[in-house]
Amino acid sequence: MLLPLAPYARLAANRALVRALASRELVARYRGGALGFLWALINPLLLLLVYATVFRFVFAPRADVKPYSLFLFGGVLAWAFVSGALQDAAETYRSNGPLLRKTTVAPEVFPAAAVLARLIHLLLALAVLAAAIAVAAARGSVSPGLAALEFPLVLALLTATVLGLALAVATLSVHFADVRDIVANLLTLAFFVTPILYPVAAVPERWRPLLRLNPFATFFSAIQNTLFFFRPVSAADWLWMSGAALAALVGGGSVYELLRDSLAEQA
Amino acid sequence: MSARPPAIRVHDVVKVYRRLGRRPHGTLKSALLPGRGRGVRSAAPVTALDGVTFEAAAGESLGIIGANGSGKSTLLKLLAGILRPTRGTVSVSGRLAALLELGAGFHPEISGRENVEIAGLLLGLSRREITRRFAEIVRFAGIEDFLDEPVKTYSSGMAVRLGFSIAAHSDPDVLLVDEVLAVGDEAFAHRALERFAELERDGRTLVFVSHDLPLIAERCRRAIWLDRGRVAADGPAAEIVARYRDHVATGEGERRVGQAPGGERVGSGVAFISGVQLLDTGGRPAGRLRAGQPAALEMTVHAAEPLTDFVFGFRVVTVAGMVVFGINTALEGLRPSRFAGAARVTLSLPSLDLAPGVYSLDAAIHARDGAPYDYRRDVLRFEVTSEVAAAGVWSPRRTWDFEGDVEWQEGTGSTRRS
Repeated sequence: MLLPLAPYARLAANRALVRALASRELVARYRGGALGFLWALINPLLLLLVYATVFRFVFAPRADVKPYSLFLFGGVLAWAFVSGALQDAAETYRSNGPLLRKTTVAPEVFPAAAVLARLIHLLLALAVLAAAIAVAAARGSVSPGLAALEFPLVLALLTATVLGLALAVATLSVHFADVRDIVANLLTLAFFVTPILYPVAAVPERWRPLLRLNPFATFFSAIQNTLFFFRPVSAADWLWMSGAALAALVGGGSVYELLRDSLAEQA
Repeated sequence: MSARPPAIRVHDVVKVYRRLGRRPHGTLKSALLPGRGRGVRSAAPVTALDGVTFEAAAGESLGIIGANGSGKSTLLKLLAGILRPTRGTVSVSGRLAALLELGAGFHPEISGRENVEIAGLLLGLSRREITRRFAEIVRFAGIEDFLDEPVKTYSSGMAVRLGFSIAAHSDPDVLLVDEVLAVGDEAFAHRALERFAELERDGRTLVFVSHDLPLIAERCRRAIWLDRGRVAADGPAAEIVARYRDHVATGEGERRVGQAPGGERVGSGVAFISGVQLLDTGGRPAGRLRAGQPAALEMTVHAAEPLTDFVFGFRVVTVAGMVVFGINTALEGLRPSRFAGAARVTLSLPSLDLAPGVYSLDAAIHARDGAPYDYRRDVLRFEVTSEVAAAGVWSPRRTWDFEGDVEWQEGTGSTRRS
């Protein structure tokens, strides 16, 4: 086995623990509130409502993508997953310090659980998105196509990318406190240079190769294609996303393997 | 029996801590700009363990003792696989459970039931094994009524019991225990010890790290004494504990002798106490004494002018303030006649029948009506040590006798049985 991929093999062996830790995060988060787990659905619903209102009455919506609020929704939800998972990963060894120092658990389960918890949130929110698409389709403003079936594979590749990055971010933030802030700022920047608020078509032709340099750009363009335009993802995009996922897994795995031994000493 | 492979094998292990930057966290700047005095290499490496080698057979109970910073916890974490040795090898065969901190990782917001499941997974149990042992874990911890309450509502004792119960029922081949019995109440400590004995009978290997020397001497067959990262001694627990105690008593103990911890002092000064000492069997000043051994309390006194009315007295008080013993020359029926110049007053005790613990000494010289010339409270503190952890303050000479069908394991206990 290729050494940088070893952490993922151990994750597979520890999947019951990863699941339990992720569900612990979710349960602990929603317990006690009167609406409990419903908040996982209410939050994205309210978000959709805000977008619909703001872009109807305050800002002029983009004319090239209608309905704009629906266009925004998929990208914004997926971005919440990416940025939430990476920011949680940056915190995970700090908040789980006692476990890391005092138990014999394999440390990679913590960033993996952070990613999984955020993924579950996304999946719940996607149910709201699906309902919104159904409503829009019933009113004739969009016409869903089979290309939507490609979305799960896009999400799988995105999740793999996020997992690799999360391992690296979590490991590095144990050694360097700055990583947390750098990640937060990079994510804010990345939000605007990723096609979330706008379609790729809105980017001038000569800048588009540059957009490719942002690893998330292709993913989010694919999300727009599958969930809004209902256009199949191009072969080039598949290749690009697979490459990004593999690079992130190998890179994150390498950083993790290099620094793993000192995690319990430093956290 | 001797054909069984060792459960733990530690060979020439060195552990050096190197810190990247300073705690709590290094920063990228400090890593990138090493010339600034906060660089990656700014913290000197610390050698926590230096060439440690030992083996432990399956079914052996091993105690690890030593001063703070001697490397005990580092050794335990290496055995647990939480840390890796800088050099040398550590191998543990079979399933391992580490009781390094009871209830580590309990999430306060979720229920006891959910926490049991996660803690079990953390210890390497499968979901099925957890389900099978669940009832037993909960019963042992005694938290049946609170199972579905969030752990934040538990008392610290309940959380500790639950944490212990999970680990103790995780069916470990090797169980590592770090000082965890210091928390929790007497009844729980007792049950925990019973559980350890059960595991040992089943041929499990137990490793204890503790400052509780009587516990190690009593509980373990073998002990390793670590001194600044090296194995200072390795052998039968009672013997190693005794040697370690002697070492501590001669090293650290004597420095405390005669040192007044700053206790209160009242009196007219007509006569005064210039020094108070505690003497051990050989008449040497000591800060630490063994229970049951002879001891003497001694004070050096001076009279500013010749006196005909004087009383000398001593009081032994627990740290909590309870008077254990107080006596003076008047109570003994001695009637004063004359005291002038300097004198030495010694109260000899043929046997110091105190339970292990720390005690404080008061010394006084006063008039027969109680008016103090010099009354010194808490003039020195001393520690009484014993291999038997008797409760209370009195540890009398004693024997046990048993009539009827009662048997004990060969060579256990220190008092005579018949």
